[in-house]
Amino acid sequence: MIITPEVLNKQKNDFTIIDVRSDEERQNFPLLGLDTILSSYDESINVAGKKVLVCQFGIVTEGMIIEKNINNAFSLLGGAQAWVEYYNENKDLSRWTRQIVLPEIGIEGQKKLLNCQVSIIGMGGLGCPVAQSLVMAGIGKLKLIDDDFVSISNLHRQPLYSFQDVNKKKILAAKSKLKALNPEVTIETDDVFFDDKNGEELLLNTDVIIDATDNIKSRQRIDQISKKLKIPTVYGALFRFEGQVSILNVNGSAGYNELFPNSNTNGEDSCADAGVLSMLPAIIGNIQALEAIKLIVGINNNLIGKLLMYDGMNHKTEVIEL
Amino acid sequence: MINIKVKCFSQVKYALGADELTFQLDDNTTSIDLEKIIRKKAGKKLNNVSLRIAINKKYQKEEIVLQNGDEVVFIPPVQGG
Repeated sequence: MIITPEVLNKQKNDFTIIDVRSDEERQNFPLLGLDTILSSYDESINVAGKKVLVCQFGIVTEGMIIEKNINNAFSLLGGAQAWVEYYNENKDLSRWTRQIVLPEIGIEGQKKLLNCQVSIIGMGGLGCPVAQSLVMAGIGKLKLIDDDFVSISNLHRQPLYSFQDVNKKKILAAKSKLKALNPEVTIETDDVFFDDKNGEELLLNTDVIIDATDNIKSRQRIDQISKKLKIPTVYGALFRFEGQVSILNVNGSAGYNELFPNSNTNGEDSCADAGVLSMLPAIIGNIQALEAIKLIVGINNNLIGKLLMYDGMNHKTEVIEL
Repeated sequence: MINIKVKCFSQVKYALGADELTFQLDDNTTSIDLEKIIRKKAGKKLNNVSLRIAINKKYQKEEIVLQNGDEVVFIPPVQGG
């Protein structure tokens, strides 16, 4: 069983709190505000009644309780690291403990995600998985821009919508599902078609733009505003079993209009005309979300200045230096 | 003569009906020459489709003379979302 820092704080008098960490960890991350008794992983826990075991990240104690079959025991989710953050800043980040434990993310990376605003233009096949993954990852503020309604033909590839949502505004149905995933996320909705007149105002205060649109004109428009406002864009696009992803316009790096100058298609490549298998938007949208997270946290191994081409039919990828 | 591999994605793949093709070309063949060959092979299927080109995983803005063993990717814009 697990307990979060927030719940433990409310009920701490009901538990014996047992710190199983090393002396060095205790010195670096003292459990301020908690009365603890000291133990270790190797010692047997002979404390009657309800108890909370605390390790550094909340992972060792989860395993310890199961392996040693310790009764009436809870593991502190996120461990001492999550407790210290909660005690000092009144923020319970424990739900993200499995990604905070990644050295590339850590507490500081998670805080960057919480303090970031991402705007998603287009809440269709790409917009849905991007929004879902960003909210689950802990993005603090999301802006959803779309004026479309949910239709039955959307349901096979847009997982934020269900039959009950048909004919409802996409942004409202999406907001409801996303708030259920994380009630603390702030979601702003703009029931408009993104165009030259409203684009700049819509993207003010945005840290990262997600291009999840479905036509070249919108992509070109996003690129112009992305450049003007100096806000990076995570681009994604689909064709049948395939997709493309890139991070555009970071400190003068290539944008969509450099990648595809004066671009045309024969008009037969939209999802409606060419078709799209339901998994492809999820794959490409999640790669967009992954790149957005890396960009925000500051992980340098990313798609800035590169174009990823992915073919789901044969799983071939090509990463092209722009 | 030079040997060139073309990796095919999106509209190019469907127009040519293959994931990969190899071409034996005259020395001094350029990227634009190869694009013309590709378009001719595709019939009308690539009409009105803009193509950008990458050689050995590097995007090329200008026409370039191909070298033996080069790997070429034609990049069409795709719009689905």
